[in-house]
Amino acid sequence: MARSTGKDAQALFHSLRSAYAATPTTLKIIDLYVGFAVFTALIQVVYMAIVGSFPFNSFLSGVLSCVGTAVLAVCLRIQVNKDNKEFKDLPPERAFADFVLCNLVLHLVIMNFLG
Amino acid sequence: MAKLLLYLTLATSLIPLFSVAFSPENPTDRRVLVLVDDFAIKSSHSLYFGSLTSRGFQLEFKLADDPNIGLQRYGQYLYDALVLFCPSVERFGGSIDVASIVDFVDSGHDLIVAADSNASDLIREVATECGVDFDEDPAAMVIDHINYAVSNFDGDHTLIASDDFIKADVILGSKKIEAPVLFQGIGHSLNPANSLVLKVLSASSSAYSANPKSKLSNPPSLTGSAISLVSVVQARNNARILITGSLSMFSNRSGVQKAGSSIKHEKSGNEQFLTEISKWVFHERGHLKAVNVRHHKVGESDEPAIYRINDDLEYSVEIYEWSGTSWEPYVSDDVQVQFYMMSPYVLKTLSTDQKGHYSAEFKVPDVYGVFQFKVEYQRLGYTSLSLSKQIPVRPYRHNEYERFLPAAYPYYGSAFSMMAGFFIFTIVHLYSK
Repeated sequence: MARSTGKDAQALFHSLRSAYAATPTTLKIIDLYVGFAVFTALIQVVYMAIVGSFPFNSFLSGVLSCVGTAVLAVCLRIQVNKDNKEFKDLPPERAFADFVLCNLVLHLVIMNFLG
Repeated sequence: MAKLLLYLTLATSLIPLFSVAFSPENPTDRRVLVLVDDFAIKSSHSLYFGSLTSRGFQLEFKLADDPNIGLQRYGQYLYDALVLFCPSVERFGGSIDVASIVDFVDSGHDLIVAADSNASDLIREVATECGVDFDEDPAAMVIDHINYAVSNFDGDHTLIASDDFIKADVILGSKKIEAPVLFQGIGHSLNPANSLVLKVLSASSSAYSANPKSKLSNPPSLTGSAISLVSVVQARNNARILITGSLSMFSNRSGVQKAGSSIKHEKSGNEQFLTEISKWVFHERGHLKAVNVRHHKVGESDEPAIYRINDDLEYSVEIYEWSGTSWEPYVSDDVQVQFYMMSPYVLKTLSTDQKGHYSAEFKVPDVYGVFQFKVEYQRLGYTSLSLSKQIPVRPYRHNEYERFLPAAYPYYGSAFSMMAGFFIFTIVHLYSK
């Protein structure tokens, strides 16, 4: 019984890997970017847990920049993905332009709040 | 002719304004009204009155039931202090009564009341208004069978020799009174809840208050050192009152020998005791004034209208003591200033430069609001100082916070790395196939 679930998990993992290898490179680059943002956010949370939250506004600003970046990148990935029926009529340039503008606003806010 | 008369009356009515009198610049009393039962007191108490006039007081003697006496005329007080040496008066003459005496003290003037073994109800009422309760038994006197004064005839031990003085240099002077003080009269008690009265001379623990001519039928109500022979009251407006139960204490006295001790003093302690305590009552000693309250930020010299939290500021005040003729610097190491808003956030002892200038430096607390600089100084025998100056304190402005903190470098780093990552990502995203 355990052996079959172990084999099932392995089979699941293999199918996920092969399916993921089939995604277009563009989306893989966006996934990498999101992973980088989340990783940076995790580093900051661990730092705050060690040192304490003294300049709390700086902590919030740093974490929010990472989280905001990740969220905007995920939105871009959703809109650019050709397999997505909902955004079939949206030109990818329009999605990219939205992404750039939102990031500009995000970084403006972050710089103001960074202290 | 009418014009001449007019000018004459105008000129004479202006003369009282030029007389040197009681004022905040010169707090010692000058004009003293002495009410007596009969003018023989002038000669039997001549030493005491002589010591007063030699210090510059203008004494005016009147009989207590003289119909022309009055403390004030047209709303202005005619005298700076009142001395009641009339223990047996039933009704004051003129416009004086208990209410006017109480008003006189309430307006800041001083009072000396001396009762005696035949004290009337009126004098007892005046004393009760001042916070002191004489023994209710009208025939009682203070008797002490152990600390009486030795005399040539076999007395009934009502003349007692007492040396139980209060320990206060400001009230009794710095020189120790060697000889005991002779006292013959009624005793009084003080309410222990009253914080304004002080026992200057108390009876010894073997004294009691009873009628010397009759046998004791029940135990006396006033005994021991609860009996006060001489008390002083310093009111909240700094008026000073001296109350004692023996008019003969002020009279000219000779030597004294306490029973049970072999020392025979040539002179009793009465003269020194009464001189020193009169100096205190008439504000020749122990009268403080605080002037020149200033506060400013450390490093600047002008007084700001508002402080910011976590500012360093300095507070200074000058305190002087009246020496009888001039203002001398007051030197003490226990004057404190509070930075107060509902409760003191900062309490600091002021340091002095020995010339009457007190100052302290402290940091404004991390709380904003409207604060007060408060100095509340109440010490035994000194006038109370109550200074208060209001000052608001504001929080940081938006651009006054600390920037570039080393503790926040990781957060700065992550924000900038996110911006760099975004820039690189846009290039890669646009130019990858």
